[in-house]
Amino acid sequence: METFLEKIKDRISVNFELDRSSIDVERKRVDVQIKKEQIPSILRYLKENMNFRHLMHASVVDWLEEGKFEVLFMLWTPKEKIRVFVRTKLDRDNPVMENLDMIWPQLNTYEREFKEMYGIEFTGLVAPEEFILEDWEGPPPMRRDFDTEAYAKDVFSERIGREDAQDVRETIAKRSGEVIPDFAKKHSR
Amino acid sequence: MDYGIYQDKLTRIVTDIARSHSLWILAYGTGCGAIEVPATMTSRYDAERLGVRGAATPRQADVLMITGYLTVKTLKRVIRVYEQMQDPKYVIGFGSCAVNGGMYWDSYNTIKQLDLYLPVDVYISGCMPRPEAVLEGFAKLQEQIRAGEARGATKYKDNLDYYRGNQKKIIKNWDFPDYNW
Amino acid sequence: MEGILMSILGAIATFLLAFVVGMTYGGIRRKVIARVQNRYGPPIYQNFIDAFKLFSKTTAVHHGAMHLLGPAFLMVSAVVALMIIPVLRDNIWFTNLNFKGDLIFLIYIMTFGPLGMALGAGQTGNPNSAIGVTRGLSQMVGFEIPWVMALVALMIKYNTTSVVDLMNVQNEVGQWLIFQNPFAFVAAILASLGMFRYAPFNIVGAPTELASGPASENGGKFLFTMMSAGSVFAFVKLTLLVDVFFGGASNLIELVIKTFLLYMIPVMYGVVNPRYRTEQAVTYFWGWPLLFGFLAIIYSVYF
Ligand code: SF4
Repeated sequence: METFLEKIKDRISVNFELDRSSIDVERKRVDVQIKKEQIPSILRYLKENMNFRHLMHASVVDWLEEGKFEVLFMLWTPKEKIRVFVRTKLDRDNPVMENLDMIWPQLNTYEREFKEMYGIEFTGLVAPEEFILEDWEGPPPMRRDFDTEAYAKDVFSERIGREDAQDVRETIAKRSGEVIPDFAKKHSR
Repeated sequence: MDYGIYQDKLTRIVTDIARSHSLWILAYGTGCGAIEVPATMTSRYDAERLGVRGAATPRQADVLMITGYLTVKTLKRVIRVYEQMQDPKYVIGFGSCAVNGGMYWDSYNTIKQLDLYLPVDVYISGCMPRPEAVLEGFAKLQEQIRAGEARGATKYKDNLDYYRGNQKKIIKNWDFPDYNW
Repeated sequence: MEGILMSILGAIATFLLAFVVGMTYGGIRRKVIARVQNRYGPPIYQNFIDAFKLFSKTTAVHHGAMHLLGPAFLMVSAVVALMIIPVLRDNIWFTNLNFKGDLIFLIYIMTFGPLGMALGAGQTGNPNSAIGVTRGLSQMVGFEIPWVMALVALMIKYNTTSVVDLMNVQNEVGQWLIFQNPFAFVAAILASLGMFRYAPFNIVGAPTELASGPASENGGKFLFTMMSAGSVFAFVKLTLLVDVFFGGASNLIELVIKTFLLYMIPVMYGVVNPRYRTEQAVTYFWGWPLLFGFLAIIYSVYF
């Protein structure tokens, strides 16, 4: 299996200029990172030439500290049952990408969600303005710098009697004497 | 001797008893709570023996059950459903999300005080309340109806400005028909 | 003068009887369903409470004249049918308005109510109502044919179109029509399954699927009217079946026993069956019931 995964990885890296690549034998997974300009061609290549026909999932990770959005596509091949993760990093201040829904039509839905929840723009995307949120005027809500608590306090009134609600993570840590590392404290809610 | 008052009183008592024993619920299945309603209605807990029964449409229903968290988007629909129901109508808030936001207390899209937007007669606490608690809630509602206290629809009508103000505060793009009955 | 007064009082008594019996049967049906599902079930008088509550609700919304008339059509057809049918044999109270040829009139008037309701439901503009109406009409096409065939078989055989004559025939021969022409009875009872609209033929008002179909915009007093019309109509159908096939009844107790036993057929058939789709329902009626209808006619022509 390992050699097989290596072979797949090599085949991809021969054809494309990868930023980073690795394999995970246990989970039967090849993991590659690539520049965003190459995304359409690599997805098309994987789908048509290497039989990764099935798009399992697409998702976004917000790396606030790095100032990047990471967009992730998970592909799967039904024959060998192997996954390929294709990642790319976008600039957080100007997250623009090419529209991809001609490769897999279901990407249209994912792209609408990314647009609404993270504010990622897809050039050439044809879709209605709103996806799940209705009449939303605030910033994209899934970005990590959007303070949902402050927003909720501001917009929805709170019922009296809940002011002493405690942070679950902190309370449990205090009770059990656990030390929360600094980076985890900030956005842990 | 004026018999009119007694007559009114008698009619009211009889109708209230009938109403309390025939509650047709419109389970608005928001949140996780919709799954407790079938359990309450079927063999084990059998709410029908109290006269509680499902209604198919808002026009036929007496009780609106808000079963769980309510997003702003859903609230819009819930308000329309509530206004389509015919007098007398009651609202049951179901689960801690309806009571005070529950675990969605800091969500950007979930309301936290249902009674600002609709007149709630009974709250059932729990996350999720078990069918026993739901039945207890119904018993409470029946008690209120028999005592003539569950007058949510009248409250809504009389204080329409208050409720409308609250609703309009969080629902942008207000495009509702008027409430006229 | 006294005759007229007597007729009016008799009509009122008939209506009250039909209402009470129909409502109670509805309550018993709910209880039966509950017991089959291993529940305790509502009390038998639950339907009266529901009806009273519906009556006491405000009805502040309507969608135009036809919508207002829809439930009224149902009620009118039920009451007219009730007035035509002889409820008891040789009883001055319940003779009502039956006349020669009332069987043909009954076939007509029993479809009149649902048609009026269809008009009313159409005006509400609710898509569920429209779907329910189309389903109801297709189903009616299904069950009307075996139903009419069964009745026509009896008309041919005894050369009469009057319910009272049929009752008298059974009295003279001393044998119920169910034994004289069993095929007609089977066709009629299978058709009446569809007429009662209980499961598996509740495709019109399918509550979870269509949000109660034609009734979806009707609450409060509209629904009260529809509910009472339905109860009266159930009584009408049962009494008609008893009159035609079981020699009628000479007193109320006999009537109640006979109608109750008959009523249990669609109820019991319903509790153990899921819902059909429209085309399944129609093919059902055009299968065995139709065959029995043909057999009934052949039997009454040649034997
Ligand atoms: S109260 Fe609990 S179970 Fe109910 S909707 Fe909220 S989170 Fe879900």
